[in-house]
Amino acid sequence: MKKDKKVFILIEVVLAMLVLIVLLFMFQERADQGVKKIAVVVPNSDHSRWASFKYGLQMAETDFDVETVVVSTGETLTAEEEAELMESEIDNGADGILVQPAAGDDMRETLERIGKKTPVVQVESTVYTDEENVKIASVEPEHYAMGKTLAEEILLDYNGSLGGKTIGILSGDKGSAASEERKAGLTAGLKDAGGEILWSVDGYLDAEEILSPAAYPRVDIIVALDDSSFVAVGEINAKGSLNGAVLYGIGSSTEAFYYLDNGFAECLVVPDEFHVGYQGLAVLADDLRDSHKAEDYPEVAYTTVRRETLFTEENQNILFTMIQ
Amino acid sequence: MKNKLLQFWGELKPREIQSTIMIAFSFISIFLMLIMGLVMYNRFVNASREENVQNTQKLIEQTGKSLEDYLVSMRQISDAAYYNTIKESDFSKDGRDIQEKMNLLYEANKDKLRSIALYNNYGNLLMAEPVANEKTNVDVTKQEWFTHAMNQTENMHFSTPHIQNLFDDGTRNYYWVISLSRAVELTSQGNVQTGVLLVDMDFSGISWMMKQINTSPNGQYYYLCDSSGKIIYHPRQIQITEGIYKENTIVNGRYRTGVYDEVFEGSRRKVVVDTISYTGWKLVGVIPYSAFTHGMLNIRYFVVLLTLLTIMMLVVVNRIVSARISSPIMKLNDSVKKYEAGEKPEIYIGGSLEIRHLGYSIQKSYERIDNLMKEIVVEQNERRKSELDALQSQINPHFLYNALDSIIWMIEGERNDEASYMISQLAKLFRISLSKGRTVIPVRDELQHARSYMNIQKIRYKNTFSVEYDIDPSIEDCCTVKLILQPILENAINYGVNGMEDCGEITVTGRKEDGCVVLTVEDNGLGMSGEEAALLLTDSNRVHKKGSGVGLVNVDNRIKILFGKEYGLYVDSEPDEGTRVSIRIPAIPYSEENRKIVEQGHIPGNEEKKTMELTVPEEAERKDAKNGQTEKKNGEDRHEKR
Repeated sequence: MKKDKKVFILIEVVLAMLVLIVLLFMFQERADQGVKKIAVVVPNSDHSRWASFKYGLQMAETDFDVETVVVSTGETLTAEEEAELMESEIDNGADGILVQPAAGDDMRETLERIGKKTPVVQVESTVYTDEENVKIASVEPEHYAMGKTLAEEILLDYNGSLGGKTIGILSGDKGSAASEERKAGLTAGLKDAGGEILWSVDGYLDAEEILSPAAYPRVDIIVALDDSSFVAVGEINAKGSLNGAVLYGIGSSTEAFYYLDNGFAECLVVPDEFHVGYQGLAVLADDLRDSHKAEDYPEVAYTTVRRETLFTEENQNILFTMIQ
Repeated sequence: MKNKLLQFWGELKPREIQSTIMIAFSFISIFLMLIMGLVMYNRFVNASREENVQNTQKLIEQTGKSLEDYLVSMRQISDAAYYNTIKESDFSKDGRDIQEKMNLLYEANKDKLRSIALYNNYGNLLMAEPVANEKTNVDVTKQEWFTHAMNQTENMHFSTPHIQNLFDDGTRNYYWVISLSRAVELTSQGNVQTGVLLVDMDFSGISWMMKQINTSPNGQYYYLCDSSGKIIYHPRQIQITEGIYKENTIVNGRYRTGVYDEVFEGSRRKVVVDTISYTGWKLVGVIPYSAFTHGMLNIRYFVVLLTLLTIMMLVVVNRIVSARISSPIMKLNDSVKKYEAGEKPEIYIGGSLEIRHLGYSIQKSYERIDNLMKEIVVEQNERRKSELDALQSQINPHFLYNALDSIIWMIEGERNDEASYMISQLAKLFRISLSKGRTVIPVRDELQHARSYMNIQKIRYKNTFSVEYDIDPSIEDCCTVKLILQPILENAINYGVNGMEDCGEITVTGRKEDGCVVLTVEDNGLGMSGEEAALLLTDSNRVHKKGSGVGLVNVDNRIKILFGKEYGLYVDSEPDEGTRVSIRIPAIPYSEENRKIVEQGHIPGNEEKKTMELTVPEEAERKDAKNGQTEKKNGEDRHEKR
């Protein structure tokens, strides 16, 4: 074969290979253009306490070009139900799961199993997995710090001493790591203050029943460690049935703000739920792009709100996220 | 390294006209295509950028107009409430009427409004629509909308969005509103006092308008801020508050209506600004430069793909075009190459006029060269023949002179029989020498010639040597060049047996060996050393001491001229032993046809070999001829001395 013919064939072959490479890139890009679908599994997902969280999800959807589906759930969600929901969402095409893990040992196994096939990010609370190769990220407020801040606010109102005061602690979740940490932070903060924690109730069904004198003795201070407890106690207080107890707590709904605004609570610690939703989805989106580093899990701040400071610009912005 | 590169470049450089044309065409076309592609792409990008900015401007103008209409409608509500209701009424007696009118106004615009409220200058609520409980812990005199209205009574004031903190409607909800407040004159029992009319607009109206235009997936977005840079609406409002995202609101808030180029947070962007009348708010459209090329990655791939395919096509087309252009030249070149390789092809004549002309010229040149070559060959043959004839003729004069001299002596000595014998031998010798002018004769005749010669010489030398013949009869009918034995015999006499008293012996043998005829003349004379023997056939300048002057070189050349270089003489001699000279010629049966062929320099059955050795060292031949003449002259001199 003549030399120039060889060169001609070589040039054509090289160009043909380049064409194939470009075509490959084109198809690759087209394949990458599909929007990732994220399923969000949280208990009582229609509750107003998730408003800010959902707004965070909504904002992150735009910023990270993903699509979220918040699974409709009831007031209580067991580990089994949560596992079923996650499996069902994966079967329906979810590329990732954002979940507030229910309390229970089963949850750990469930997360380990699902985490192996689909990226999972925990929000609000964490279940720690033992398997080294299954790192499940978690985006949650600083529960312990919030509990401790709440204690500090109580002490602030009582000049640092709770001598002779009785305290009741109420938490809607039973056995969740978040609840335990908050309680640990609170009790650590109140330890040397002289007050007496008369009772501490987790996972109750009816707050009004619990707060009746027949069930638990009257206390001077009630600390509600989650939004639903805070709103429930605030509502009882609005009806005048709290027998003079003062309400402190953690909440993230407009209702919680309402009871604080109207003087039915003294202090409210508000976790930045917008940030939980936004960062949770950001971490998951990064996971889906394989660009996330385990060390990047962000910390979520919280704000202490009192009646007088409720309408500061910062707190108005918190409310803004809740009313979108 | 540089040398290696140069060498590599040298190897790459095309040597064929087709490759040169193709590469030149390809480079030029690809270069032009790339330039054109880049220009087109830039033009496309710029046009798309301009169009994008223009579209953004139009959208911003339209949205700004809608916002202005919205705000004007709010102002009209405020005006209607104030001028048609509040200003014309006395609160002490028209309270119910005012409430009804305000209610009508609210109901007519409630999709845009959150509430209409009227406060006196102490911040006490006089009336509100919709009717709701006033929050107990609220001091409106400390709220911004109230202070602004009271401080600048002549203006209407639009606040930035905020949470309405006035009423408890029992829904446990909060509302994000923009407050339009103004100072109003309130009449009660004829007394006029200042109050503040507040129209709280539901932010969702503005929010909806802004969301309608914030749908671009390419990173382009719109936001609303006041002139101090305080955000009214931003698609990433909370991200900015939380520090996740940054916006250049302070700078943008100061821009006037127009298009600006800026670099913010390390990225270039275009900012389109429209100022909303009365409020001084800025509607800002932000187009990051990345938005101009968003979604164009696939277009880029497509352009690259198109370019590659075009290059592939161009290479093919250029190859075809270059082949068509260079084909006639290549064909012409091929036919010339074949000609140079010895073939006799038709010179290609085709293609364009110039190449046809070139073909014609080359063809004529080759024809002329062929003719010239033929002429040269004929001339050479003629010259060779004449030289051969000249060599053969060199023998005659001096030998004849000596023979005749001997005959004269015999006659004078009355030895008539001997003289008669000698004359008869001489006659035979000359008959064969002439051979009707032929160069090639049968071996038999050559041997007869040799015998006649030796018979004459024996008489001359008074039988002082003897001659023996041992001839294979089968060679007698083969062809040979005439007069080749006689010079050898002459040498054998002169240098070999001459001077030996009655004991000189000369033997002539003839054999057929390996398809060749080998004639040998052997003497038992003085002989010579190997070096001297070698010189006999190579040193043509050698001066002969005696003899006819027709040297062995002469004989050797004649054989080689007719039969080829592989034939000729071979001399073998030892001092005091004698000398043996062999003639080796091809065994060609003598016939008239073969004779003619051989005389033309060919060998029957081996035609190619012939014409050939035409290249025979002509110089040597010329010298031989010259030497022959010299020897001849010497012989004559010698004879004269005798």
